[in-house]
Amino acid sequence: MTPALLHRLILAVADEVIAHADELTELDQAVGDGDHGINMKRGFEAVRADAGATAEKPLPDALKAIGTQLVMKVGGASGPLYGTLFLALSKEIAPDASNLSAAFASAVEAVKSRGKSQPGQKTMLDVLAPVQVALAEGGTDLSVRLPIVAASAADATIPMLATRGRASFLGERSIGHMDPGARSLALIVASVCRALEG
Amino acid sequence: MANVGIVIVSHSPKIAEGAADMVRQMVGDSVNLAYTGGDPGGGLGTGVASIREAIDRAWSEAGVAILVDLGGAETNSEMAVEMLDAERRGRVVVCNAPIVEGAVMAATEASGGSPLETVRRTAEELSPQ
Amino acid sequence: MKDLTATEQATDRAELINAVGLHARPSVKLTQLAKTFECRVEIALSADGPWVDAKSPVKVMRVKAPRGAVLHVRTSGPGAEAAADALMALVRGGFGDQSNQPADLRHG
Repeated sequence: MTPALLHRLILAVADEVIAHADELTELDQAVGDGDHGINMKRGFEAVRADAGATAEKPLPDALKAIGTQLVMKVGGASGPLYGTLFLALSKEIAPDASNLSAAFASAVEAVKSRGKSQPGQKTMLDVLAPVQVALAEGGTDLSVRLPIVAASAADATIPMLATRGRASFLGERSIGHMDPGARSLALIVASVCRALEG
Repeated sequence: MANVGIVIVSHSPKIAEGAADMVRQMVGDSVNLAYTGGDPGGGLGTGVASIREAIDRAWSEAGVAILVDLGGAETNSEMAVEMLDAERRGRVVVCNAPIVEGAVMAATEASGGSPLETVRRTAEELSPQ
Repeated sequence: MKDLTATEQATDRAELINAVGLHARPSVKLTQLAKTFECRVEIALSADGPWVDAKSPVKVMRVKAPRGAVLHVRTSGPGAEAAADALMALVRGGFGDQSNQPADLRHG
């Protein structure tokens, strides 16, 4: 992991989230309080602004800086969850990311704890869990497979009934809409993989 | 020892301020009290930074009890507590209680000099057992 | 050897004369006052109880006695007389709220 690569990764993720802010807002208007897009955009604009300095840090510190930015700037229900994902990852990951699968697994557990939720409740966990399984399986084509796994997992949330978070108040009306956190996570996974490929 | 401090965290700045007004009116000035509402962009919601500031404002050596409304307020408050330094972290609790009544009950209990656990337990008496 | 049969006790009662009765701010004031005493302090709406711990804000708030109801107090332990007197003075004084002054101030 070089500073140049890390910089490219950070910008790729931030730009992707910011570019899709309106879509995320629309998704959240259907099932939540409509602020996922605005919140994520605010958080990732802050991450983007610091990208240069962050990329100079060792990977664990960079992830910690990103996680902290997200916690402080995203707010709402997603801030703590995304923040926890990055902060937990930063605690476990080796500077050369050689233990990515194990570190990611512990980050997923941390998100479960933070959100007091499990896969199956129509949340970002429904993308995190399959991505983690794919990472654990490994293979040389991960950067091609992961975006597909994440996207289809996000699609799979469409018919799900929300039983956690704001969407759960909608009951059956949550069915037929993609979970916004699942979508934003799929976008992030895809942009990381694309940047690694390119 | 000083009285336990109270922090009110609502998605709405108006509710947070209003709840704090009620606490002041009903319980008086003997309890450190701080409130926060709204997300980092100023809309309805909650954010870790403002909660941390509120904890600092309401800080007491006896600890701080936080009252919250909906889910995000609770989660962001828990994160704010985890980001405190080790010395303070163990002396802040997030109460599982209705925000307005819980704040008044917690502040009443705190005004009598009760310790943090008693303040939390009193607020939580209001929730379904 | 300490004589355990000599525990100080007191009971008294007074009518709630303030507009809201035992509700909101008055109930908070009553609890705060009870908490300043070491002894056990309990209140009830009749001489037979049920007795409620006057130091518990939630329990006192739930009593919800209206103006005109009679509040009974029972105390036991050191300072029991002083505690009962203080609580009754609070009730008879309408909890100190200026807006709660009753039209007829003669009360006996």
